[in-house]
Amino acid sequence: MNFEWQVISNNFFFLMGGLVTTFELALIAIAGGLTLGILVGMGRLSKFKFIYYPATLFVNLMRTQPLILVIFWFYFLVPLIIGRPIGGFTSAVIAFTIFEASYFAEIIRAGIQSISKGQMEAAYSSGFTYWQAMRYFIIPQALKNMMPSLITQAVVVFQDTSLAYVIGLREFLRSANIVDAREMRSVELYLFVGLVYFIVCFSMSRICKKLELKKGYA
Amino acid sequence: MIEIINVSKWFGELKVLDNVKETINKGQVVVICGPSGSGKSTLLKSLNGLEPFQEGDIRVDGISLNDPKTNFIKLRQKMGMVFQRFELYPHMKVIENITIAPTKVLNQSKSQAGKKAMELLERVGIPEQADKYPGNLSGGQQQRVAIARALAMEPDIMLFDEPTSALDPEMIKEVLDVMVDLAQSGMTMAVVTHEMGFAKEVADEIIFMDEGRIIERGTDKSFFENPESERLKEFLRKILI
Repeated sequence: MNFEWQVISNNFFFLMGGLVTTFELALIAIAGGLTLGILVGMGRLSKFKFIYYPATLFVNLMRTQPLILVIFWFYFLVPLIIGRPIGGFTSAVIAFTIFEASYFAEIIRAGIQSISKGQMEAAYSSGFTYWQAMRYFIIPQALKNMMPSLITQAVVVFQDTSLAYVIGLREFLRSANIVDAREMRSVELYLFVGLVYFIVCFSMSRICKKLELKKGYA
Repeated sequence: MIEIINVSKWFGELKVLDNVKETINKGQVVVICGPSGSGKSTLLKSLNGLEPFQEGDIRVDGISLNDPKTNFIKLRQKMGMVFQRFELYPHMKVIENITIAPTKVLNQSKSQAGKKAMELLERVGIPEQADKYPGNLSGGQQQRVAIARALAMEPDIMLFDEPTSALDPEMIKEVLDVMVDLAQSGMTMAVVTHEMGFAKEVADEIIFMDEGRIIERGTDKSFFENPESERLKEFLRKILI
């Protein structure tokens, strides 16, 4: 069989446009998922039942659903609820943020639990409030401990974004798919897509390794 | 002044504080000793609201800890605490450990808090460690930083929870020296410790606790020379070999 790699160079800008969308989606989902995940993760540790139960329900609900179903939910349900279409990108961003938040939340819960109770007592006895203690002492330390797990999860988010393909969002995989429909060069295109995913994800996991090695405080 | 009025506390079925009564006057140093599990740390942590209790009341300068309107955040600003395991913030430099509460809680300026922090580090004898991380300090140095950190809030009362029991023997003295100095400067102190030398030197009163109760109390002379209860005699024999 003979390869025709020109299909890549001929459609390079189109494909890169898709990759940019993938990156945008991944970055917003990671930032949003992490922010929401910190709140939900703290909620999972709350002694207030009216915070603990909703946070736990949310995490269990999301973690028992296939991502693709969550993407469908937001794509089809949200417009029905708010009465107007919201577009593929927005609905994908919302779906990924909420879905990934449940995974980030569990990483954060474990990370916060890894910090000794004495740190909270020290902060309290200096007159800090719960929120200040979290902000200045617990979360910065916890984040450092959980960095490897967070990066691993970020890599997963990056890969997961390819599922936005199902609602027609023109991300990286979908772009390759469109080119393929026109040029019929599946093997070259999907090998290229795989290579790009490999390069991005492998570099991220290398960074993660480095961070794991130099864990602990200077 | 701290008034502990008939305080009892349970962990589930277990009664960890049993009708504890005690008054700590301004400028007094009270040493609390007793075997492990006797409730002494729990009592200390109940003084600034870190441990809730079910019965009785504690009043700090007349403010009741039982009163739902009591602002614990405000109350704790006037009560410094030093822990057995130091509990310095490992991700911050020594100087930041000391300045963070004055700047974030009391809204002092960075330079004002920094100047005060350096004075405190001088006072505890380690100004040269200011820019290091706690992990690079010895245990004794870390505990002295912890004392400086508590003093930075200019507290009226200092609480010490076994401040030397996690230290190597050769580092105990450097910490006790700082505490003696503090006691002699007139600070009101409640100290959970087994360091009987410290108790003899500065304590106005020594309390012996067992099974959540205060079994015996005294000034150093009566306490060490004429212990009344068998339990205290046995305890003193064990720690004063």
